[in-house]
Amino acid sequence: VTRHLGLLRTALFGFAGLAATLGSLVFVTFALSSLSPIDPALQLLGDHASNASYSQVRHELGLDLSWPQQFARYVIEVAKGDLGISRSTGQPVREDLERLFPATFELATLAMIVATVSGIALAGLSVRHPNGLLDTCVRVISIVGNSIPLFWLGLIALFVFYARLRWTGGAGRLNDAFEYTIDMKTGLVLIDAWRSQEPGAFQDALAHLILPTLILASYALGNVTRLTRAALLGEAGKEYVTLARAKGASETRILWRHLAPNARGITLTVLALTYANLLEGAVLIETVFARPGLGRYLTTALFAADTPAILGATLLIGTCFVAVNGLTDVAVKLWDPRTW
Amino acid sequence: MAITSRSASSAVADATTVPTIGRLQRPFELVSIALTVWCILFGAPGARAATPADVFVVAQSLDDLVSLDPAEGFELSSVQAFSSLYQRLVQPDRDEPSQLQPVLAEGWESGARTLTFELRRGAQFSSGNPLRPEDVIFSLSRAVKLNRAPAFILNGLGWTAANVDASLIKLDDRRVQIRWSSDLGTPVVLDILTAPVASILDERAVLSHELRADAGNGWLRGHSAGSGPFQIRRYIPREALVLDANIRSPGDVPLLKTLIIKNVPDAATRRLLVEVGDADMARDLGPDQIEALNGKTGVKLLQFPSATIHYLLLNTANHQNPALANPALWEACRWLIDYDGIANKLLRGQFQVHQSFLAAGFPGGLNETPYHLDVARARAILERAGLGHGVRIRLSVFNQPPYGDIAQSLQATFAEGGITLDILPAEASEVYSRVRSRSEDAAWLYWVPDYFDADSTASAFASNAEDGTNSLAWRAGWRITELSAETRAAALEQNPQARAALYRAIETSVQRSSPFVIALQARPGIVVRSSVNGYFQGLNADMAYYDRVTK
Repeated sequence: VTRHLGLLRTALFGFAGLAATLGSLVFVTFALSSLSPIDPALQLLGDHASNASYSQVRHELGLDLSWPQQFARYVIEVAKGDLGISRSTGQPVREDLERLFPATFELATLAMIVATVSGIALAGLSVRHPNGLLDTCVRVISIVGNSIPLFWLGLIALFVFYARLRWTGGAGRLNDAFEYTIDMKTGLVLIDAWRSQEPGAFQDALAHLILPTLILASYALGNVTRLTRAALLGEAGKEYVTLARAKGASETRILWRHLAPNARGITLTVLALTYANLLEGAVLIETVFARPGLGRYLTTALFAADTPAILGATLLIGTCFVAVNGLTDVAVKLWDPRTW
Repeated sequence: MAITSRSASSAVADATTVPTIGRLQRPFELVSIALTVWCILFGAPGARAATPADVFVVAQSLDDLVSLDPAEGFELSSVQAFSSLYQRLVQPDRDEPSQLQPVLAEGWESGARTLTFELRRGAQFSSGNPLRPEDVIFSLSRAVKLNRAPAFILNGLGWTAANVDASLIKLDDRRVQIRWSSDLGTPVVLDILTAPVASILDERAVLSHELRADAGNGWLRGHSAGSGPFQIRRYIPREALVLDANIRSPGDVPLLKTLIIKNVPDAATRRLLVEVGDADMARDLGPDQIEALNGKTGVKLLQFPSATIHYLLLNTANHQNPALANPALWEACRWLIDYDGIANKLLRGQFQVHQSFLAAGFPGGLNETPYHLDVARARAILERAGLGHGVRIRLSVFNQPPYGDIAQSLQATFAEGGITLDILPAEASEVYSRVRSRSEDAAWLYWVPDYFDADSTASAFASNAEDGTNSLAWRAGWRITELSAETRAAALEQNPQARAALYRAIETSVQRSSPFVIALQARPGIVVRSSVNGYFQGLNADMAYYDRVTK
């Protein structure tokens, strides 16, 4: 009963945290948007438009209202479930987000799976001989993954694997033969391509996903490997490991049965943080690979002073962040034997 | 957030002691699994090396596209799409744009500030609905009443939301008359009606999608209801615009079945797509990309001059910097620009030197280029005018390529002449905002005509009604009562030769002494696959013709 009450309390705190975070996010983002030197009406109209059109558009966008009035109007509309119309795409923000989030979610999740599997494997390998050749290689890989600009890596990868070797697909999510014929019901291109039963569509979706997934994973890999390695090494010197070894436990058993469970709190936290970052969208990867996604949507909106789109995307990203963090807290508590 | 997690991880890694554990027994199982997955992934088939035979794929940036409603869209991408989607009553001939072609009209008669159009017999929209006078009246009045960015073009006829309905009259089932109140001759009015904002919409199709009295604006942002050679199959904002051939188009049926305009925001990726063959055309490539493709097998470069001109605007209304109003400074600036260096070395053939406001190829265009970089002459002019002690000018420029490069070239040559340029890069709308409020010293800007007529540009550069309405001369604070009258007279002239002569005289005047230093005309490169034929692009932004493309 105590444990269930604890979970309930955690959930309640989680919701309260979500509400507070989103409220603050909207307020701060709205305030920052109003400080932008970009005139949204001019951004929309260009410089040839007449003063009459300019005044009308400013009125329609609510820019002739005071800042508190604009803010109140936005909050009321959001409370009604209306995120407004994006000024830079001309479409309802909600529709834009519903279309773009699955693409970001798919890429981020796949990259995270690759980064988690390979990151934990590499960390496991590297703790064999700390500071040995393999460990040094792993550390170099993780530092390189974190420090090479994704934009550059993406372009080079496209040039080598797509343009020269032709091992992978290029920009976009599918070949043009499929892209606009497949019904994107879920928005997840792998699933939609699979469901379409078009011969070759699934392989094509996969071929287009390989490079962006691996490059994004290489970035996430750096965090995952370094922290998991550090956590494992932190445990490896403790007495219970010596005891286990004295009892004749194999090194594999020591790693997975003794070290891993004690290191998983940190590993889980870093995985969650990295995943939440990836869910923000990867603007550079989306730009180089011409893939739709939240990152580029938000960046383009920022340059266009498209406040409804900026706020909508910020709310969604904020929700993801809070949700992932909340779930991680719960998972860590559930997994930690001391809380049982 | 990324920074935080990176710092945390490095902190933990640094603080960790390094105890040793022994050899793992099956470490390579994990590696072999990872390698197998890797091989499966890389074994997946790559993209095909060519686009489907009846599909034409264009790689360009669509990030600017806000609306595909011709009464609203005023961005390059939407304006380029309108010529594929919609038709006007009259349009410039694609090979000889100074000649008008009846398109949705079969002919016209002009009267005293009236034009009567006879609609093309049998013309119908992509929906199958026939063209009616009501469609013409609906389309033109809707654009005025909606009052979006391009509405000012029709406002030029004297049309307002209050009077436009009375200016458009259905005479019978095939004839419609338009009336205007502005001081404009019939040739200018006809040219105004060639602008994309005057596209004729299928009233019945549009109104069937009207929502909350928006005159179908929400729906038209992503759909089409026209009679052009193509119709929108699907528009996915920031991803792609997919067009299908419109077999009902009154003109020639396009030779292609499908046209896909893909948003590929990065120029280097656009280059790779066309190089590999996954795109048939790549637009907006920079000089680097074009150079990299030069001489490659399988691709060829097309270059079409555009009516876009680049110029320096000096704000004479800025009284804090009185030198800006001094004609000697205007003249010195003309001798301090390295025209040839910018056009041919810096921007490597993407621009050509052009020094008058009407682009080369426009009727009435002045092609003389009397100015070149001559620092000594500029210094002498400044000395004579008492400005030899040095002048300081804040120059606003867009914060995108190639404007930074151009500004740096200006800064270097102006410095040699004794003028210090402080470059203020900013987002385009911020630069526009400064120019419209006349708060800047100078700005490097570009101009694109709104319709294919000299009046569109002349009324901007050489007319100042002193009321702040949409004139570059007003924004430069240039008081020109006589020149403004000449510009208005040229707009009333009916004879084409006489009109062209009037514009040449006005251009000469602006070229010799004005707060505008016109320097360059754009000549963008477009790379296509070698097998592509039939694409043509005219001077104006809306003249992008895909209907005769084969590959």
